[in-house]
Amino acid sequence: MKNIFSHPEKSIAAKLIIATGILIVVMSFIFWYATLKKQEKDVMSMALTYGDSFVKFTKRSTRHSMLVFNPEETQRVLENLGTPEGVQRVRIYNHQGNVVFSSNINNVGTNVDRTSVACKSCHADPGKSPALLPDPVKWSVRKDEKGSTSVKIVSEIVNEPDCYNASCHAHPREQEIIGFVEADLSLALLDEALFKQGLALTVYVIVFVLAVSMFLGIINYKIVTHPVHELSKGMERVAGGDLDYSVQIKSVDEIGVLAGTFNSMIKDLKAARDQREKWTQTLEEEIAKKTEEIRMTHANLVQTEKLASLGRMAAGVAHEINNPLTGVVTFAHLLKKGFAPDSPQAQDLDIIIEQSERCTKIIKNLLTFARATPSEKGKVSINDVLNRTVFMVQNQEKFHHIKFNIKLEDSQFVIIGDSSQFQQIFLNMFINAADAMGGRGNIHVATRSLTEEGRPYVEIEFRDEGTGIKPENMPKLFEPFFTTKPVGKGTGLGLSVSHGIVKHFGGNIKVKSEIGKGTTFFVRLPLPDKKNIEA
Amino acid sequence: MKKILVIDDEAIVRMSCERTLVPEGYDVRLATNGRDGIAFMEKEKFSLVLLDLKMPDMDGIEVLNKINTTWPDTKVVMVTGYSTVETAVQALRLGAYNFIEKPFTPDTLIEAVKEVFEKSQGPRDADKDR
Repeated sequence: MKNIFSHPEKSIAAKLIIATGILIVVMSFIFWYATLKKQEKDVMSMALTYGDSFVKFTKRSTRHSMLVFNPEETQRVLENLGTPEGVQRVRIYNHQGNVVFSSNINNVGTNVDRTSVACKSCHADPGKSPALLPDPVKWSVRKDEKGSTSVKIVSEIVNEPDCYNASCHAHPREQEIIGFVEADLSLALLDEALFKQGLALTVYVIVFVLAVSMFLGIINYKIVTHPVHELSKGMERVAGGDLDYSVQIKSVDEIGVLAGTFNSMIKDLKAARDQREKWTQTLEEEIAKKTEEIRMTHANLVQTEKLASLGRMAAGVAHEINNPLTGVVTFAHLLKKGFAPDSPQAQDLDIIIEQSERCTKIIKNLLTFARATPSEKGKVSINDVLNRTVFMVQNQEKFHHIKFNIKLEDSQFVIIGDSSQFQQIFLNMFINAADAMGGRGNIHVATRSLTEEGRPYVEIEFRDEGTGIKPENMPKLFEPFFTTKPVGKGTGLGLSVSHGIVKHFGGNIKVKSEIGKGTTFFVRLPLPDKKNIEA
Repeated sequence: MKKILVIDDEAIVRMSCERTLVPEGYDVRLATNGRDGIAFMEKEKFSLVLLDLKMPDMDGIEVLNKINTTWPDTKVVMVTGYSTVETAVQALRLGAYNFIEKPFTPDTLIEAVKEVFEKSQGPRDADKDR
């Protein structure tokens, strides 16, 4: 409440209160003033009526003593009439203004003031001209020396047959007005009553103004200030970002409607913000996803480029080494011919030949890795290739003590590609599994179809019961030349080559391994759309 | 006399061929590049050319084309590293008789050479009879 009056130009409530306050004060003042004036007028008219009666009563009281010409009696009556409180003076004077009788005996014989109402009520210019005013007013009001109001009433004594026929012959017949009765009456009591009434009225009006103002103020506060304040508080909160806030206004008037609209606006804003935040989050997630994709693609590109340049280098080196190797092999053989087959020299030369052959094998692997042999593409059935590869390895010594447990899904899983490349992948998997198990155990092979991001895939599972892969080796698994096999046993290219081929077909390889329990490789290859196959 | 020309830029390969084939009774000439090889062929007639596929200056395929057009009776066996098997296959299509991979053992080489002479004598002679 306080702050609304510190800057009234900023507050509707203050403006309303001030406007209604001014209206109430002005209206109350007009009412107060009009009432006071009316009272005063009524009191005055009453006073004049009573004054008039008093003068008539004086005339009647003195009539007899005047007609019988008993001046002492007249004087005595006047003195009696002048005794009551409120009657200041009663006197009778002739048309010339000579006071004949008076309630105050000292007054008798004095002359009436020519400016007095007694003269001026009829004569425009008393003492000089006999001209008469058209509408005589035979009373006047003045303030006496004590400050209280007194009224002077004058009434003429008209000549009548009883007067001019009276034995005293004091008044001739042609004389129209024989004198005047004049009464000075004090209105002090009425003044006091009026004052008290006025005071009471003033107090009533002030109390009324205060009460009405206070009532209006409270009403104003309840209906306007408080709700508007609530609304502005709400707006501040909302502007500050708090969209859970709602304005608590229950009324059904315009402000209530405004509050309702405001609340629904906040709700909309909140919904919009939530939506926006959701979008932002989705966008961020999308960006993170894309960034990860780009990073992966980049990493793949780097990896591919790395492998490609490595391949080129390997191919170059391999080709160059083939020439000296030819010499080593040839001359070792030639030299061997000079010795007996079981001589120590021949055995040594066998070692040279053997190791040269090992070099040849390494070079072949390197060149496979470099994928110097472009593949011939065709429709390849993954299940068929798996079966063929299993059949092929089962005849090899390495797999003599290994049991294959094969569970292939009925679907043929046809992929457009080079069957030798798939065979190479499967072969690598089998060799690794056999090595991991030390040549003894079960290799579990399974195929199944699945959908990843809306695309059909075939998943080929290779599970061994071997030693498992150490966690620290996991990240290096697909790096070229990384191997845990003894020197001479592995080139470290098998998984790297497999990975390269799978990547080339848009697939991926996932590994799950537990030390001591075994390792499972999941090779996923995307399946083409049916129509592409049939085409 | 069974005359063989070896065209290879690598001395050790040329030497290996010479040391393997001479004791087997072949007359072997050695050329260090395609140009030299063709120069030899212009002077003498060879039954077989052992031709390296990858050589500086003049490529094996180029030399093969030249031999095919100029001396169609001379057989060509391509000698190639593993990396160029595809090219070797291409060479077969272009008219090479066979190919052997480097590094080769003396036995491999001898076998490949023997095959050329045995086969070419059979059907080719039959062709002549017709």
